[in-house]
Amino acid sequence: MDVSDWVDARNGFIRGEIFTSEEVYQAELKNVFARSWVFLAHDSMLKKAGDFIQNYIGEDPVVVVRQADGSVKAWLNQCRHRGMRICRADRGNTRYFMCSFHGWVYDREGSLVQVPHEEEAYAPETFDKADYGPRQVPRLHNYKGFWFGNWDETAPDFEDYIGDFKYILDSHIDRHEGGLEVVGQHRWIIPANWKYNAEQPSNDSYHAETSHASALTVLERSRKKRREEKGEPDNRVSMATRAAAARGKQFSGGFGHGAGWHEMPEGAMRYQAELPATMEWEDSVRDKVEERLDPYRNANRSHANLFPNFMMLANGTMRVTHPRGPNEMEIWAWTFAPAEAPDEVKEEIRVNVLRTFSAAGMFEQDDAENWLEEQRIFRGYMARQDPLVYTMRIGDARRGLGGVPGIIAPSVYADEGARGMYHHWAELMSGDSWDDIARRNAERLAQVPHAEADNSQEI
Amino acid sequence: MEEIPESETEAGVATMPITARRTAPSVDVCRELEQFLFEEADLLDTWQFDAWLTMLADDIHYWAPVRENLFHRQRKNEMAAPGGSAHFDETREHLAERVDRLKTHQAWAEEPASRTRHLVTNIRVFETDNPDEFEVESSFYVFRTRSERDFDSVVGKRFDVIRRVDDSAYGFQLARRKIVFDMAMLLVKNLSLFY
Ligand code: FES
Ligand SMILES: [Fe+2]
Repeated sequence: MDVSDWVDARNGFIRGEIFTSEEVYQAELKNVFARSWVFLAHDSMLKKAGDFIQNYIGEDPVVVVRQADGSVKAWLNQCRHRGMRICRADRGNTRYFMCSFHGWVYDREGSLVQVPHEEEAYAPETFDKADYGPRQVPRLHNYKGFWFGNWDETAPDFEDYIGDFKYILDSHIDRHEGGLEVVGQHRWIIPANWKYNAEQPSNDSYHAETSHASALTVLERSRKKRREEKGEPDNRVSMATRAAAARGKQFSGGFGHGAGWHEMPEGAMRYQAELPATMEWEDSVRDKVEERLDPYRNANRSHANLFPNFMMLANGTMRVTHPRGPNEMEIWAWTFAPAEAPDEVKEEIRVNVLRTFSAAGMFEQDDAENWLEEQRIFRGYMARQDPLVYTMRIGDARRGLGGVPGIIAPSVYADEGARGMYHHWAELMSGDSWDDIARRNAERLAQVPHAEADNSQEI
Repeated sequence: MEEIPESETEAGVATMPITARRTAPSVDVCRELEQFLFEEADLLDTWQFDAWLTMLADDIHYWAPVRENLFHRQRKNEMAAPGGSAHFDETREHLAERVDRLKTHQAWAEEPASRTRHLVTNIRVFETDNPDEFEVESSFYVFRTRSERDFDSVVGKRFDVIRRVDDSAYGFQLARRKIVFDMAMLLVKNLSLFY
């Protein structure tokens, strides 16, 4: 599908049509979701043989199952017989899955193992159960405990797909030995296009100060009070202070990935969340994390989106945003905590995320409100005529600025992440082969000038 | 992720164990407690959140566990256990923080404010070992409209412990609340108010 009438990402022009059109949406399911790497599960959700969870790639439900040999398989949750949903539990443990329509039974691998009245019903010469397992997700990749799936055999390997975003992803999931584990989950719907919740973590630190003014104010007040009462050290820079300073960077990766972060002043670091036990523990492991990542990534934590729809924040919320038509998204959010952290820290992280970034979260609620109104406005005809303004810091990004891989804008207030995201989105929407897209992607990256050797460019 | 224990029994509504028949206090006490819940509903619907906070005991635990769709043999455990996934898991201080947020008038999910109606029904009152504390179960239906044409509703059940506190503004205080929403996936854009 040619989307050039609506998206000229290089120049920062995007029109509302891409958030509302049913035609665009159907093309997205085919050209974006059926060709991209999508988060499916984490090892801590599938501890033993037979543990399974349901997830989605776009609108296609997928069952992810731990096998007897420790491997993982993922298959379309659809019975081959008449197309019924095979598994109707969100998660659990099982040996077999029985379709509740006519009783076909599948094993954990997704092989059809039993068909009621097979002998009377089907001719053995023409009917072989081996032909009728559900469609397998042909490409699965486990990256540091996180399972991703891709329907497209021709897509780049996962590590090539994430490219420079590895730097960002590692800073979220590979800070600590032993990685992460799930401590909470939330699911809810927002009547707005899925791309808002992809674009925002890719790009939009800019919204926080206004959208989240209430939560920033209130949490800052509580923090001050706690600090006074408990005499906590003052090497901590609050969210409100950070939001007021534009110092920071924005990342754009090759295949639509984006991230942004505020830079901490010298000596300060950003904590997972401003919680007493968590800060204390993070101080105690600071050296280890700096060694594992580097001091810069320990101090400066990002918000990020692995294209298309895997979002992560510094506080432990990680989620996939499933598209549900052009006008609705379904958020599947998990709270992750470092596996090696003390229970007290995990508990703080669990409660903090539910109080800030779940459906009842003090930050999250206000995003939903803005997106919903945005979505509603785009129903108008005139409302879709003028291009929206994605021109912040256009032309200022450099490759490798500040020693950070990728295309890096010299400010946290930039639209580089969004331009990169919509550029790649348009590339996929064109329907061109992954080979062509990957080649053009490499050419585009090569055209971005490198940062000056001294990296002196600052805001 | 917390393990889901298998349950021996068939699916019941996963809430509280059905214990032996519990004892109801006198009709007068039941009326007082009903009145307390209706008063609370009215404070919430009229945005008198500071008054609402005086209804809460200092040691309140306000908790709404997450619910999942599970196989029948695990369904008794479809509500997350304490310490697991939750929509609310709040102390009094936490709730006061949420109230403060609404009062900034920059909490866009509630600015302009929603109009709500808390309908509270099916109230049952039981005595506990403490003569001043009562277990009170109630169903709720919260209908919300806001702005031009937004509306949604949240329905569920609450399991409260309500304590008689003679010198408190309403004669009782809410010491514990467990909220069970009748949705696994929340089919609302947010939970910006109280239930
Ligand atoms: S649709 Fe599954 S057995 Fe018929
Ligand atoms: Fe936000």
